[in-house]
Amino acid sequence: MGGAVDYIQFVFMPQVFNGLTIGVAVILMALGLTIIFGLLDVINMAHGEFYALGAYLGITLASHGVGFWLLLIAVPLVLLPLGYGSDRLLIQRVFHQKDRHMLTLLLTFGLAIIMEDMFKLAYGPNTIRPETPISGGTELFGNFFPSYRLFLMVFGTVTIAAVWLVVHRTRYGSMVRAAAFDKHMASSLGVPVGKVYSATFAFGVALAGLSGVLLAPIYSVFPTMGKDFILMAFAVVIVGGLGNIKGVVFAGLLLTQVQAISSLYISPVWADPLVFAIMVLVLMVRPQGILGGKLGHA
Amino acid sequence: MDTLNPPLSILQAVRRRDHIAHNAWQVFAFLFIGLALAFTLVAAPSGDTFYFRLATEALIYSGLAMSVDLLLGFTGLLSLGQALFFGLGAYTSALVLKHVGPSFWTAMAVTLLVSTAVGIVGGFIAIRARGVYFALITFGMAQVVSKIVYNTRELGASDGIMGIPVIQANFLLFKVDTAQAPAFFLTVLAMTMGLYFCIAYLLRTPFGRTLGAVRNNECRVPFLGYNPQLYKMLAYVLAADMAAFSGALYPMLRGFVSPELMYFAVSGDAVITVVIGGLGTLIGAIYGSVILTGLKSAIGTYTGHYQIVIGVLFMLSVIAFPKGLMGYLSPLVEKWLAGRRENP
Repeated sequence: MGGAVDYIQFVFMPQVFNGLTIGVAVILMALGLTIIFGLLDVINMAHGEFYALGAYLGITLASHGVGFWLLLIAVPLVLLPLGYGSDRLLIQRVFHQKDRHMLTLLLTFGLAIIMEDMFKLAYGPNTIRPETPISGGTELFGNFFPSYRLFLMVFGTVTIAAVWLVVHRTRYGSMVRAAAFDKHMASSLGVPVGKVYSATFAFGVALAGLSGVLLAPIYSVFPTMGKDFILMAFAVVIVGGLGNIKGVVFAGLLLTQVQAISSLYISPVWADPLVFAIMVLVLMVRPQGILGGKLGHA
Repeated sequence: MDTLNPPLSILQAVRRRDHIAHNAWQVFAFLFIGLALAFTLVAAPSGDTFYFRLATEALIYSGLAMSVDLLLGFTGLLSLGQALFFGLGAYTSALVLKHVGPSFWTAMAVTLLVSTAVGIVGGFIAIRARGVYFALITFGMAQVVSKIVYNTRELGASDGIMGIPVIQANFLLFKVDTAQAPAFFLTVLAMTMGLYFCIAYLLRTPFGRTLGAVRNNECRVPFLGYNPQLYKMLAYVLAADMAAFSGALYPMLRGFVSPELMYFAVSGDAVITVVIGGLGTLIGAIYGSVILTGLKSAIGTYTGHYQIVIGVLFMLSVIAFPKGLMGYLSPLVEKWLAGRRENP
């Protein structure tokens, strides 16, 4: 009996906790993806690179003496105009063509290639490990938890709640939802749909950058970090239902827990295929995602 | 006008235009063979191997690009993970050559068997999804498999498989040594162009027409009595075989295989190749591959950061020249062919 309790306390719990911290960051990133898809119908293949850009920007700003707390605001603020410009200059150019799904996917893919090589050019191909901004740990239920991970969980949860509030309780959010529901009707009611599109792309990209800053001390920073992370974000977005905010939170927690707990029993190498298998299964059985309901329709 | 029974002249006109477009592509195919032979004649006496191996690599990647074009240009399925089958072919052929026996034909036969089997499994997973979901699933499958290969010690893990023996490919009348760069180049040229002519022919049969129908309007296809899922499956497996076929040639050229062959960069390059060369032309994939491989090598001598240039070129191509190289060149040849027919 005591063995089982010890097992839960010292093996199971830390793993669940690790899963939660990663889950919160994945959700932040996937939220951006899902909002962009829900409104613009664009699969942003460069989302992982914007995540990496956030991490690299964090390193650059930190080396100029910007404190970690300021980074959490500064990096998303820098990414906002970049995202806005990307949408204006690239996506909106092909947005009104017939096969825009394909074209926007290809364009963001091209953007991803360029960004990845830019990182190599500017920062070199090697891994950079920023130092943990909050050192030390906290003891909870007899377990030692790194303080930074605890902070990440709390901060991430607050941000996720804030995103939900922005989308569902602000004027900008209602414009986004209106444009997602019926862009022609929204436009005739005076919603500046074009600007809302670009602002939303910028918003999603800023979220990716924020999760880049947050995860950099845990995963360290390297040029292909976006590619390694994007599959998980895609899986979360698909399992949760493309364009569904609650779905992303639910699926993000579910999949990261599956990944964390399964790696106790099987080699971590097989955790990724397991997550992917869940994604494929959901696509087969419920293509609209577990919770269903797109942005603006729920 | 009676739309159900259009006058014969319209049908004839459509058929003729289609015929001329096809002929224009054939002209480019023969032009390519001519250019490749001219290149061999010029370069062979100099004893060069670097450019022959580079050109062989371009041809090998063109087979992969053709498989992407078969899916995207002719069936409307964007595969972001075609490197999965390219790498599968390369690994299978490498394992056969190293552990079973240095036989060219055994390697090719085993590769095609394996890729057909894996293609059926992959197709079963992927073709249920439509549009962007298909793209994401193929992307995910390739990511997952490449990660598994990367972590499997029996497959050489991150190092891949090295020391693949040089082989003598037996063509009954003569033998080709894969270490002889010009001879192997000509062999790969013959195989790639053979593959091209087979697929180009296949696309003009009722099977190919049905793929076109699936691309244009999948929902209508069942009403005409065809099963779109079946045709998508066949296209997917065929594309898997094409990619694996060209992948199987890779270890014969380079003497090693590594997990990088399955990475997204390879799948992505194939998509870039097809878009730059001209989507839905098939021959564009071959020209695109030569352009991309050449560009990479040329820029690579100055800087390692050629992806920036390729990415910019690709985005420009998507925004400003969506028809690709062949999409702009082939109408010129078509005009010439049509003029020649009218005034013989």
